[in-house]
Amino acid sequence: MIPEFTASVGAPRVAGIEFPFGRPLGLPGDRAGQRAVLRAALEVVWLAQAPGTVIQLPFAWPQSPRDARADPPVPPPIVQLVKRKPWLAVKLLARDIPEPRQPGAS
Amino acid sequence: MIETLAGGQPADHGGLARRVRRHPFVDGPTRKLVRSWIEHEPAHQIPWTAVARPLSACRVALVSSAGIARHDQCPFDQELERRDPWWSDQSWRPIPLGTTEDDVGIYHLHIDPRFGEQDLDCVLPLRRLQELHADGLVGGVAATHYSFMGYILQPRQLLTSTAPAIAAQMAAEAVDVALLVPI
Repeated sequence: MIPEFTASVGAPRVAGIEFPFGRPLGLPGDRAGQRAVLRAALEVVWLAQAPGTVIQLPFAWPQSPRDARADPPVPPPIVQLVKRKPWLAVKLLARDIPEPRQPGAS
Repeated sequence: MIETLAGGQPADHGGLARRVRRHPFVDGPTRKLVRSWIEHEPAHQIPWTAVARPLSACRVALVSSAGIARHDQCPFDQELERRDPWWSDQSWRPIPLGTTEDDVGIYHLHIDPRFGEQDLDCVLPLRRLQELHADGLVGGVAATHYSFMGYILQPRQLLTSTAPAIAAQMAAEAVDVALLVPI
């Protein structure tokens, strides 16, 4: 979904597609579209000739960004936390993650 | 047209970060966050295995970061993340071939789960993969596919426990190609 980020963490082969979050293969029920995306993504395994290759797939989402927008039902917990405590945004940007404060988290 | 963005040389993280500005479906704050994370990411040695067979002779398994769990499995623990938003459930679930949207829930607090709940192939295209196999384009479809929940800021457990367990299961099923489908 954000192929540049995937490439930065060292994925061996990346098939990039600029689709909205939550629908990486396409619209619900769009069988032909989903199939085309899947097939093209699998073909990148063979098209990528060197480690870290990113190949942008030739698919365009059929809606405008405004029409395609679909937020989660409730803002994610980290978003709510940073809204309450904006100074934590600096830690988030730097990926300065506090150690867990409860048993069971790792 | 296929556009190749990178490959074959150390990743230019500055260049990668600048490209994130162009994404039409990523909002401004998320773009800023991802650019920052790319710039903070250390260089990695990229694992690489050359492909020995054509796709038509390969067995394929899918991995989704959508947080998919079957109704007969323990859901991903969303309360953990609600209590401490820096942390999240880094476990995994096996998703047997034949699983459909009627069999699962999607436990991911950062997306709208309705699309995958309506049509699982939006996020884990098992039926599409089976169709490619039926048409002879894919050599085989693994019996087991996988999901984890992709909001993970510190992937310690993912790297030391979840990913090795998934890899071991894939090796046991003679998977040739694994496709990670992000959410």
